[in-house]
Amino acid sequence: MTCAWAESRKRRRITIPEILKDEWFKKDYKPPHFEKDDDVNLDDIDAIFNGSDDHLVTESKEKPASVNAFELISRSKSFNLENLFEKQALVKKETQFTSRSPANEIISKIEETARPLGFSVQKKNYKMKLQGDRTGRKGQLAVATEVFEVAPSLHLVELRKTGGDTLEFHKAHSSLNFSNNLDILRNLNSHLLIGP
Amino acid sequence: MGCFNSKVKKQFRGHEDPIALASQTAFSVSEVEALFELFKSISSSVIDDGLISKEEFQLALFKNRKKENLFANRIFDLFDVKQKGLIDFGDFVRGLHVFHPNAAQEEKVNFSFRLYDLDGTGFIERQEVKQMLIALLCESEMKLADETIESILDKTFVEADSNQDGKIDKSEWQIFVSRNPSLLKIMTLPYLRDITTTFPSFVFHSEVDEVAT
Repeated sequence: MTCAWAESRKRRRITIPEILKDEWFKKDYKPPHFEKDDDVNLDDIDAIFNGSDDHLVTESKEKPASVNAFELISRSKSFNLENLFEKQALVKKETQFTSRSPANEIISKIEETARPLGFSVQKKNYKMKLQGDRTGRKGQLAVATEVFEVAPSLHLVELRKTGGDTLEFHKAHSSLNFSNNLDILRNLNSHLLIGP
Repeated sequence: MGCFNSKVKKQFRGHEDPIALASQTAFSVSEVEALFELFKSISSSVIDDGLISKEEFQLALFKNRKKENLFANRIFDLFDVKQKGLIDFGDFVRGLHVFHPNAAQEEKVNFSFRLYDLDGTGFIERQEVKQMLIALLCESEMKLADETIESILDKTFVEADSNQDGKIDKSEWQIFVSRNPSLLKIMTLPYLRDITTTFPSFVFHSEVDEVAT
């Protein structure tokens, strides 16, 4: 391991993800515990996923929830008065895009893209919970996704970071964004910015 | 005790008394004092006059003093109760109070109604909702066809405008919001419950500093 660290040629130097996997390093290693964001209300997402699922036949909703004008309006970031209290501009913890694809297709596409990137996927109706498997700067990246109907055949997809580093979230988001109509699959490995 | 009171009074000279403000709002006296630190920093950012101008408000909210925004303007106008184009400390505390988790639901319903009633006619007109929707779309860089926007408005007004007169009055709004409680989510800022510990980036001046003035 020491040789690997000392390797001066950057190409061959061991990377942090590799270190984290190394047996020698893992002995007695307790990964740091990162606090989940307190200000993100997960009640609605948790309620869906913690709900009793004992019966196999679950009634699945035909359509995603529909949003009215005020629900859209209230998403303006200028209502985020929290910014008054912060010295630096807060990095947004959520992002959204629109899509003309049918809602269930959107859900499958996100799932198809997320799994190879190392996310575990939990879904129920038109809500999903994605959990990253790699430990980034602030623990595992976790994203809550929801699809809403804005108008017939037009959907709004919201991605909210619920755990992990916000910058990683923004990078993962570009992989999950289908608004350009093409799957841009980028390897999440190259996105994890592990700083010193 | 007498010494402490006069020191506090000196610090707040020219501004409303924090004890009075605490009694009118959901904030404790120490929270009002913490808000004063924030107020001082915002109100002195462009012109040091003890009042928050529209520009200073924009600077604080967006970290960009030139950034004009429809919704920020509305919030500013509602805080600026005396309509002077400037927010004083009392306005600031009473304005933020409405967003406190312990503020009465009725206050939040009223504030949100006035927020969306852009021209202050006492009604939220369809045209106003359209204007806000377009502003939101611009902000989020989302594009929707005009007919899509119209159909969203149709759907919204069918639900909210029960007497179908093309505008939403106060009582229609109250009913609409009670059926869609998520619409009032923006009216509550949970961290206001504990600002003295939630925002460590504040610099709290000790009493010693203030004596110099």
